Amino acid sequence: MVKPAKGTTTLAFIFKEGVMVAADSRASMGGYISSQSVKKIIEINPYMLGTMAGGAADCQFWHRNLGTKCRLHELANKRRISVTGASKLLANILYSYRGMGLSVGTMIAGWDETGPGLYYVDNEGGRLKGMRFSVGSGSPYAYGVLDNGYAFFFFYRYDMSVEEAAELARRAIYHATFRDGASGGVASVYYVGPNGWKKLSGDDVGELHYRYYPVMPSTVEQEMVEVTGA
Amino acid sequence: MVGKNCFAIASDRRLGVQLQTIATDFQRIYKVHDRLFLGLSGLATDAQTLYQRLVFRHKLYQLREERDMKPETFANLVSAILYEKRFGPYFCQPVIAGLGDEDKPFICTMDSIGAKELAKDFVVAGTASESLYGACESMFKEGMEPEELFETVSQALLSSVDRDCLSGWGGHVYVV
Repeated sequence: MVKPAKGTTTLAFIFKEGVMVAADSRASMGGYISSQSVKKIIEINPYMLGTMAGGAADCQFWHRNLGTKCRLHELANKRRISVTGASKLLANILYSYRGMGLSVGTMIAGWDETGPGLYYVDNEGGRLKGMRFSVGSGSPYAYGVLDNGYAFFFFYRYDMSVEEAAELARRAIYHATFRDGASGGVASVYYVGPNGWKKLSGDDVGELHYRYYPVMPSTVEQEMVEVTGA
Repeated sequence: MVGKNCFAIASDRRLGVQLQTIATDFQRIYKVHDRLFLGLSGLATDAQTLYQRLVFRHKLYQLREERDMKPETFANLVSAILYEKRFGPYFCQPVIAGLGDEDKPFICTMDSIGAKELAKDFVVAGTASESLYGACESMFKEGMEPEELFETVSQALLSSVDRDCLSGWGGHVYVV
């Protein structure tokens, strides 16, 4: 039996200036849209973010739990926990619950002493270090844009500026929400830099559609016209 | 949806394969004749084939009877054609809307094996049908004029498809 993909699109990538994290905001139960305004980027602490894919309750609870453990580490060791350490804590917890039906597909993104860090952690106990990840049912479409770019200017290069990286992340989420029915709502983009994370934008993907592909007025776009044929 | 001596029929424009969107301008509502429209939700290939078969039958009817089919008759025809495939059905739910004698509006819907459901106010079909029932029930008023009917139908359609992953990308609305 094919495991149903987690209905969402989240992505994160490392570039010269830090880590860019972006996600949609749609929650779906089968075909029904239960919410268009879910916060899928969870603030673990002021310099680390986690993304939510899979079960909302699972992700929210375990990210908050991770935040608690990170704070305890800070108090016990008098220094901040690294992204490596935080992701390992979460991965070990999820591994111990393996087979019990938790559904978590998360990326831990942060900035520590060694610079920007990005890890993918999931409910099967997998933990991967990497430069670019996208998680969720819309991830193939987001990878298409992220890996190759939608135009010559914004393809993925390590030395992008923050604005260029934000635009690439936003575009990737937009294209994923276009094709994937389980993604939509608002495309949020966060940036994690040496001073912590900062929310850069939260644009409704419907508005993004008309910004990227403006409607040219044509004779079809008229109200209440006699239609000659269907 | 039925109004005062008029009707409106509307559909969304998305064509998808489960979660993936294939097209955002798919036409689901077909004109059978000037006062009879047919909307087909469900499997796109079955909708197209069914439409082609029905148009064929209607054209034959026009040649024999030298007039257009009445909506009630057409509904019977659709029901019979769907039941022919009782044990290997078309995966479509049709919505039929037409103006009968003296401009009396007629609407009905069917399940995929031809069970007719007549209604005096509105009929719905598709993946967001439960949402649509709720929206139409709350927005419907008796005897709406065409402009108000258009607004009502559009708002009901948009608010329902906004709550459905598998529908969306705008709508086509026909008011007759």
